Parts: sequence; C-alpha cells; structure tokens
Amino acid sequence: MGKIRLNGVNKRFGAAEVIPALDLEIEDGEFVVFVGPSGCGKSTLLRLIAGLEDMTSGAIVIDGKDVSNAAPGARGLAMVFQSYALYPHLTVAENMAFPLRMAGTPTDLAQTKIARAAEVLNLSGYMDRKPSQLSGGQRQRVAIGRAIVREPAAFLFDEPLSNLDAALRVSMRQEITELHRKLATTMIYVTHDQVEAMTMADKIVVLNAGRIEQVGSPIELYDTPRNLFVAGFIGSPKMNLIEGQEAQVRGASVIGIRPEHLDTVAEGGWEGQVMLAEHLGSDTFMQVETQAVGMLNVRMDGEVKARHGDKVRVAPKVDKMHRFDAEGLRLVH
Amino acid sequence: MRDQSISFRVKRGIGIAMMLALLAFSLLPILWTLILALRPATHLFEPIWSSPTALTLDNIASIARSDFPRALLNSFITAGASTLLALLLGVPGAFALSKRRFSGKFMASWLLLLLRMAPPVGFVIPLFLFYVQAGLIDTHIGLIFAYTSLTLPFVVWSMWTSFNQIPNELVEAGLMDGASLWQVLRLIVLPAARPGLVAAGVLSFLLAWNDFFFALVITRSSTTTAPVAIMNFVSYASVDWGAIAVAAIALTLPTVPIIIIANKYIVQSLGGAVKG
Repeated sequence: MGKIRLNGVNKRFGAAEVIPALDLEIEDGEFVVFVGPSGCGKSTLLRLIAGLEDMTSGAIVIDGKDVSNAAPGARGLAMVFQSYALYPHLTVAENMAFPLRMAGTPTDLAQTKIARAAEVLNLSGYMDRKPSQLSGGQRQRVAIGRAIVREPAAFLFDEPLSNLDAALRVSMRQEITELHRKLATTMIYVTHDQVEAMTMADKIVVLNAGRIEQVGSPIELYDTPRNLFVAGFIGSPKMNLIEGQEAQVRGASVIGIRPEHLDTVAEGGWEGQVMLAEHLGSDTFMQVETQAVGMLNVRMDGEVKARHGDKVRVAPKVDKMHRFDAEGLRLVH
Repeated sequence: MRDQSISFRVKRGIGIAMMLALLAFSLLPILWTLILALRPATHLFEPIWSSPTALTLDNIASIARSDFPRALLNSFITAGASTLLALLLGVPGAFALSKRRFSGKFMASWLLLLLRMAPPVGFVIPLFLFYVQAGLIDTHIGLIFAYTSLTLPFVVWSMWTSFNQIPNELVEAGLMDGASLWQVLRLIVLPAARPGLVAAGVLSFLLAWNDFFFALVITRSSTTTAPVAIMNFVSYASVDWGAIAVAAIALTLPTVPIIIIANKYIVQSLGGAVKG
C-alpha cells in the first residue's frame, strides 16, 4: 500500500514561504512526477514527504496514518538521491543490506531479499565491489536496489538521472518505468526535465514557486493546460504564445499553438522568413519570423526542404488552438 | 628530452645543496642527542673523533633507576585519556555542527577558534585556583581535564572540517534507511571520515604528550609527566646532559610508531580526500 495525502502542507524558511499551503492526493501504485523549473520547490516538497525537512504546518498522511512528526526512517518510504548517496566504505551487498540491518531483518531473509533485488537490477556480478569501482549507471542501480529491499510503501526519486549521460538516461528511464510496472509500488519522482515527466508519469504535478499549477495525466496537461505557465512548460519545442490583435479577434488575451499544429500553406496564414531549420529526418523544426505574430516554432513531419532565409506562409489548425484570458487562465469556450 | 644546459645543472646543484642543508638542520640535533645519550659524563663535550670508543650505557641505567619511567607512564595515561575524552565529546559535537541546522554556528566556530588560539597561560591561573579548591592538584584526573580543554577544541574544529567534506545526502540516506543519528554517525559518517578521525586523535595526543606548562603548574611529584620530569636532571649545581638526552629520546620514541602508522591518514586528512 502507498496512498499518500498532503493536507495544507506549508514550508517556510524564516520569512520566505517556499511552499504555500498545498493539498495533494497520490493513489496507491501511482507513478507521480513533480516537475517544474529550478527553485520551484519540487525537491523541498519531496523532502517534506520524506521527513528530511520539517513542515511549518499541515499534515502528511500515508496509508491513513499521520506521519507528519515521524522520523524519516519510520515513514516506510525509500529514497533514491541524485548523487546516489551510496555508503563508500561498504560493498554493493552491504549497501543493500544496510536498511535491512537497521530494521533488524533476520540474516537469511535479508539475503533472499538482496539476492532477488540484485537479480532484478542485474547487479549479481558486482555484489563484492565498492561504489567507487562502479559506473554511474551501476551506482544508480545499487541505490535503487537499496530502496527495493525495504519493500517501502512508496519510492521517492530526487532527480535520479541528472548525473548520467544522455544515452544512459534514456535506458535508466525505461528501467525505472519497467520497475514500476513490476513492483506496482507508488513512486514519486522529481525532475526538471519535462520529457522525463511526460514519458514516465501516470500523473504529473506541475509546480511553480511552491504552488501546484496543475495536476493531471501527461496528455491532459499537454492537450488542456490550465494556464499559461503549464502551456509554456509542458511540450518541447515550446508552445507558441501569441498576444495582441490575433488573440483579441479570437476573444482571448493570449492564444497558444503547439509547433506541430502549424502548417505551411500556399495562401493565407502568416507570412514569414525561416530563421533556423533543423532537419532530424523524422521531423523538421523551424523558427519562422513573421510580421504579424513574431517568432514561431514550427514542427513538420518528415523532411521538409526549408533553408535559412526562405519565405514561407504558416497557418494554425484553428481547432487545436488554446486560448487564455488576461490572468493567464485557460478559456474553455 | 632532458635539459642538460649548464644553467639547469647549476640550479639543480643549488637545489640539492639547499635540501641537504635543511636535512642536516633537522637531523643533526637528533644525531647529537643520540651521541650525548651514549657518552660518559667526562667526555660529553669533546668532539666525537677525539675519543670515538668512549661509549657507555650508564645514562640509560641511571634514567631507568630514576622517577622518569613513572613520569613517562603518567604522560601516557593523561595524554591517552584526554585524547579519548576529547574524541568522545568532540566527535558528536563536530557532527552536530556540521550536519544539523541551528543558529549560532558562526558564534560556535569563533568561540572554538578563540579557545584554540588563546595561550594556555590565560587559563592556567583560574584553573589552578579552582583545582586547589577542588583537590585536583597533582591528580591524573585533574591533568586529564586540563588537557581535554586543550584537545577538545582541536578535535571539534578538525572533525568539523572532516565532516563538512562528507555529503549531506549520505546522512540523509542513512536516516531514510532507518538509522538513528547516532547510528548514522557510527556506521556511515565515521568510517567515511576515518582519515580525519585518526589525524585528530594522533595530533591531539601529541598536543597533550608534549605539554609542559599545564603539567608544571598542576602536577607535583606523583603525577609529574615526562616533559616536566626532564627538569629533574637540572639541578642548582649541575646539568645531567646525558640523562636529559636519554629522556628526550624516551619521550620521542613512542610517538614515532604512532606517526608512522597514522602518516597515511594524516596526509589524506590534510588533503581532504573522501571518495564517493
């Protein structure tokens, strides 16, 4: 079980309010990603759940039990840190045994659990090595192994892939997703990388300045961002946000168009000049400078013959357009 | 390619000469002490080449008969106990300063530095008056406490620096894994900070071991330490240089194996190496 409820959780450092009172429900077995720009409070929120930071007010309830004042080790949670935080003087096996030793698990049961975790994570050949003798990816797996053996109510991941190179990041991302499928345990994952959020999450929590901007499935957030912040944060390349007359004629302060919802057309649309064209084979990304609405990100399927300086006309798919009011909130009709 | 130019050879020659001079400067007094220890009193101040065979073990025998061995034992007891006490109190203190969040850390660091920097003479008079009242003059326990006031700030200060090099995430990982703060310190942080711990222990032992001033004021006859006992070989009429030389060697010898064993850790600790 791993149902987590945050009731009015608030955190202040002196006069600075890092997390204004916040409510959140995380269902058992859910993969939840906290995402947001640097300094948005996502790591602080995770550390509050872990018990590594004290709340100023509010309550954290795990499986119906109020753990607001419980020690980190007594909350039944396991955490995987960005720097892995492996104990440098212990071998892989000893690192994985440590939480079981603290819990007073009988040796033979501990051995079974460690062996099973090592097998799941392909670590069986490295059990006698010290952390300094492992690669980054292996260290991360040991850190996950140390978390798995505890059979926690939920796993907490604090930007666990940031220290890995791009290729390893993609494969570890898949491994963690696969692990979640196998274990079906609640996972809370903090990242600033919205691609990680989109690909891994059942539910994304977008945070900005300690406030929850929107909670929803990746596609909900992508298709119906509740406000301008979420619209601009989720999606890569970024959504085009257009103010002024083009927005006003559509009854909005700002309109948003995703790059893939812009087409090149022979007539009509907005006239502009290609400033940048990136040819990936599968897609072509263009930046088009228009007179009418400024710079636009455009994404076209497949290879499009476009070069710097070419004159093009681009038109939005009107039914895919997002409209926002003066407060930056989504307009529904 | 090796540089064989004349200017390079001259520079290298000067460098070697300076090195040898420095080596002689630090080693010759030790050699001289060794020679003094083995020379009879009558030949002490003659050049060694005028009577190279005039050697004796009398100095060693007279030291063995004197109170000096007991003074050496007193030195061991007080320096060892005060080091243990300073580590027991100072290590948890340094851990708290390094890894826990509380106000007044800046103040604490200044106070510690002040205690480290202030000359012992500043403490010794009030300490003496208090010890007279408390009946701690000429007791092991009195000297151990006095030495701890010397070694404790040192241990806290140096372990604080050592602990600062250990990532906070290691402590947090331990807490998440269900360890208490005490277990985190004992099972995770201290093994990772072992070079710093050994260096702090050895250096604070030497601090107490080499002390003269506190022992001179606080001890009388039964708990005199070795550095003070050496003074017994200086009398109104004469100075027993041979005995002083033997005593100096006896005072130095026990520290040699300690330094050799701890050398690796001390160098590591000064270099600040903690591998993750």
